[in-house]
Amino acid sequence: MKFFSFSLVRGLIGQAIGVVIGIGLAMVIRLLMGLPAWKAEPVWVVGALFGVVGFVYSTGVLNDWIKWAKGQETPPAHSDYEPPIGLQQIFNVSYDHKVIGVQYGITSLLMFAIAGLFALTFRTELASPGIQFLVPDVFNSFISLHGIVMIYAILLGVGAMSNYLVPLLIGANDMAFPRLNALAYWINVPAGVLLLSTLVFGGIDAGWTGYPPLSANLNKMGFAMFFLGVYTFGLSSILGSLNVIATTVRLRAPGMNLFRMPIFVWTAFSTALIGLTATQLIGLSFQLVLFERLFGMGFFDPTKGGNVILFQHLFWFYSHPAVYVFILTGLGVISELLPVFVRKPLFGYRWVAMSSLGIALVGFFVWAHHMFTSGMASYLRVPFMYSTLLVAVPTGVKFFSWVATMWGGKMTFQTPMLFVLGAISIFLLGGLSGPPNGTVATDLHLHDTYWIVGHFHATMFGGFVFPFIAAIYYWFPKITGRMYNESLGKLHFYLMLPAFYLQSLSQMDAGLLGMRRRIADYDPALGVTTQQLLITIAGFVIAISVLIFFINLTVSVRKGAVAPANPWNSRSLEFQLPTPIPAHNYGRPIEVVGEPYDYGLEGSVYTRPSSTVEPAAAD
Amino acid sequence: MFGKKSPSPWKVLIASSHPLFAEGLRSLLHKRQETEVEVVGLVSTINEALLALNSLQPDLIIVDYDDEHLNRDEFLAHFVEGRGQLRVVLLSLGERGEEAIVYDRRTMAAAQIDDWLEKWIETENSITPPNEVFSNVGKENGNSMRRNNIRHYIAAGLLVIFLTVAGFFGLSRVNLLPVEASVQAESIDGLFAFHFRAIAFLFALIVGIMLYSIIVFRRKPGDTTDGPHVTGNTPLEVMWTVLPLATVLFVSYMGANVLGETLRADPHPLVIKVIGSQWSWRFEYPDLQISSTELIMPVNKQALLRTTSLDVIHSFWVPEFRIKQDALPGGDEMIREVRITPKQIGEYKVRCAELCGRGHADMRANVKVLSSTDYDAWVASQTAALSNDPVVRGDKWSQQYGCRACHSIDGSAGVGPTWKGVFGHEVTLSDGSKVLADHDYLFESIRDPGAKIVEGFQNVMPPNIAADMTDQQVEDVIAFIESLK
Repeated sequence: MKFFSFSLVRGLIGQAIGVVIGIGLAMVIRLLMGLPAWKAEPVWVVGALFGVVGFVYSTGVLNDWIKWAKGQETPPAHSDYEPPIGLQQIFNVSYDHKVIGVQYGITSLLMFAIAGLFALTFRTELASPGIQFLVPDVFNSFISLHGIVMIYAILLGVGAMSNYLVPLLIGANDMAFPRLNALAYWINVPAGVLLLSTLVFGGIDAGWTGYPPLSANLNKMGFAMFFLGVYTFGLSSILGSLNVIATTVRLRAPGMNLFRMPIFVWTAFSTALIGLTATQLIGLSFQLVLFERLFGMGFFDPTKGGNVILFQHLFWFYSHPAVYVFILTGLGVISELLPVFVRKPLFGYRWVAMSSLGIALVGFFVWAHHMFTSGMASYLRVPFMYSTLLVAVPTGVKFFSWVATMWGGKMTFQTPMLFVLGAISIFLLGGLSGPPNGTVATDLHLHDTYWIVGHFHATMFGGFVFPFIAAIYYWFPKITGRMYNESLGKLHFYLMLPAFYLQSLSQMDAGLLGMRRRIADYDPALGVTTQQLLITIAGFVIAISVLIFFINLTVSVRKGAVAPANPWNSRSLEFQLPTPIPAHNYGRPIEVVGEPYDYGLEGSVYTRPSSTVEPAAAD
Repeated sequence: MFGKKSPSPWKVLIASSHPLFAEGLRSLLHKRQETEVEVVGLVSTINEALLALNSLQPDLIIVDYDDEHLNRDEFLAHFVEGRGQLRVVLLSLGERGEEAIVYDRRTMAAAQIDDWLEKWIETENSITPPNEVFSNVGKENGNSMRRNNIRHYIAAGLLVIFLTVAGFFGLSRVNLLPVEASVQAESIDGLFAFHFRAIAFLFALIVGIMLYSIIVFRRKPGDTTDGPHVTGNTPLEVMWTVLPLATVLFVSYMGANVLGETLRADPHPLVIKVIGSQWSWRFEYPDLQISSTELIMPVNKQALLRTTSLDVIHSFWVPEFRIKQDALPGGDEMIREVRITPKQIGEYKVRCAELCGRGHADMRANVKVLSSTDYDAWVASQTAALSNDPVVRGDKWSQQYGCRACHSIDGSAGVGPTWKGVFGHEVTLSDGSKVLADHDYLFESIRDPGAKIVEGFQNVMPPNIAADMTDQQVEDVIAFIESLK
């Protein structure tokens, strides 16, 4: 049967079998230790771990390595790829970075949709005061899942863009480690299954941040699955980052020195540095809580001498830089697309490139601004305020450069450009609402309020969601060989942008007035009832616009007009390739001889066929 | 750009091993461009050129393309890859000596130059640089562009000013913050006002210029050309790095000062211990031996709140006071202090600001800021002799220790079972067994909440919630429950 030949299907079956084996094994071990065979949480945790291994093994993504271990030969990594990318490739293991990028992208959009549905559900509950249909337990689980699934979706989106684009943008034929790349993608799928399984294991009603003691005390197995899920996709982040770094360092085309790399490669590289070095900390912090739950250890349990603040330090040491993983990728897309649609070089290329590294670096020294009211050592607050506000400097460089790029240009306003402009304005709102939180005194009021909710939704939408959508519209013709529908794209934009502003500003306003985060019900006396209704309405408008987006994509894949090879008249490398892009992207070696964004300079050339390899074959 | 604002002449370095070429070019340049070009040196090898580069700081290097002693590839490799404003021009004299071909490094890479030169020779174009290098037309364009630019700057500046003023006006018309009810809130609100204005201005600045660009700098229909080739402006870039840096340092400094204001300590504050537990607040006044579920504060007297928690992390927040502090479990070691001086008589609410489980949304407590006479009266009423009636005392304890945050006395549903009519009746436990709710059962349920769980409820009552209650107080509460038929 063909259905069972898909890697995805085999993986899911393998996961189920792995769970059964793991549970059996855990029970046997417990019996041998003289314990009663069944205790739900430890047994399920072992089952879940085996499930992940079972999934990965059954997809076949490990096959080449297994063969190598046995001393057998395997075919080269790209031999499985046949353009164009179809369902057959998406549901099966592929070592081609383009297929993996698309796999990441589709999974990401799916997860965005699920996380969005959680939001719509609790926004409906919050449209008016009083408990309507979501009891607080379920409400708390839904906000937690909305948060963590969104983060998961964004990380998948980051993976989608860096996998698809980095090799193409630097003139490489694939990522440095194609097999590792495939593993990094496929390990996400069981992670997603684990995350969503928390729904049937009692939920995770402690927020996505899962602060102990609450997350350690609540007698709900969902937490164990949540921690394992985060652990698993954290592993994917680390492997993916490693690959991006190796690819960027080793596989650039001849002549592409660091300052000829497209900005997106700079941001992907900065992002990968964070992913490679910080992700361990969220894995560690959740692992410690898991050990509290399973083995009664007391890292963060005050009754056993633990410290509740310690968790927050460990947790935010990753989770703050993680924010920069999201936005740097998005800001890279903005810098990448803007010159194409302005028809001018990116203003101050080097400063923009360095600002990404700057943000990544400073991002490691600001985590405790999430903890100004936490009761951490009081003397830490002022130094962290200084470091936090420093982020404004490299971020400001980007804004000024974008504005200067636009100045005097010849702009056109196709859908990707609209989303780029929307992204800049929304990210500006998000960025500017940051300093009040970063300044300790005002944060004493703002912490854990809807102001924060408004602030980070603005940074996430402006810094990731809008650029991601822009990127999808922009590269859609290259990926699929067809154009999306421009009118639907514009409709998507003109619904989403005002709705988002309405949502975010209402959130900030409510927060200033005293609306706390993560509450299932609110006091009408606060005077935020109107704002809450507006947020809900705006949320639904955004949902409708996203639905239009999905319809546009699915219909255009099959029925869109055939796309020219370079619909945007872009200088970028990948648009010089035929559509669909062949298996080995640049079959003929190329050489970089110019600047990536030299629009407006007549006769300027970015790349040409390599002269060192084929000297006689020059045109 | 060549005709750019610098009034000093362009410094040109000529590289050729033929004195004729070098000197001839120098005198030609001198004759034709006397004010704009100054030949600062002649060099004949790459090493000399590199030295001259440092000592003479030329803006332009003209390389004799036909000179066989000069390795032009090496030359270009050095300068094409080079940084910044320096430009290299290759000059080739044609066969008849009257054609010159100029190569500009921005146009193409060194590797492409041979192809390009051939093309120029074929089409017999003479001295027509691909760019505006020495062209007078370009200079005039530059002037009119500059005039245009100034017009654009003024218009965009006006738009930014207009948006900023509109933003400030809007800010002055709305009340973004709740009532300012504490002394600490004053300095915090001052900082808020600064932040809001800064946000309004910076948003107007970026969005204003963006909007202006979107309206003005759009491609005309039918135009397929690109925009001007402007790659950057180092002074401008330095400026927009340094100015924000200075600003954020200033804001941080200000923020630290305001934080210091909120920490200013009165030597004789009213000490109140704030105890959070799932899902109620309790306030103890150690100097007065009072325990209350309402936070009662005298106006204009600094209160030193010492926060703690019995179970998970909670967060003490009264929006009108502006200050928030997490209440941490872990005993005395984890007590955190915060100072609040109420300045406005009125009723407010403590709202738990850290997700603490199911009842988080409703974890509120009344705050009453009283005049000092009213406050004294309240203290007197609290410290007055206790009633002789255990039911009245139990009523008081049950409020004071937060029992009634979860247990109703009117039969309505809550986090825990209602107390109404429970005494002397059978209740069904979660394991299906039935038990008579008598004195001993209730006593056990208060002291050890997890021992028996009523069907339909979860074991969420903090095990140590009654730790501070004496046995007599527990007996009083049971008497109170008994009275609720």
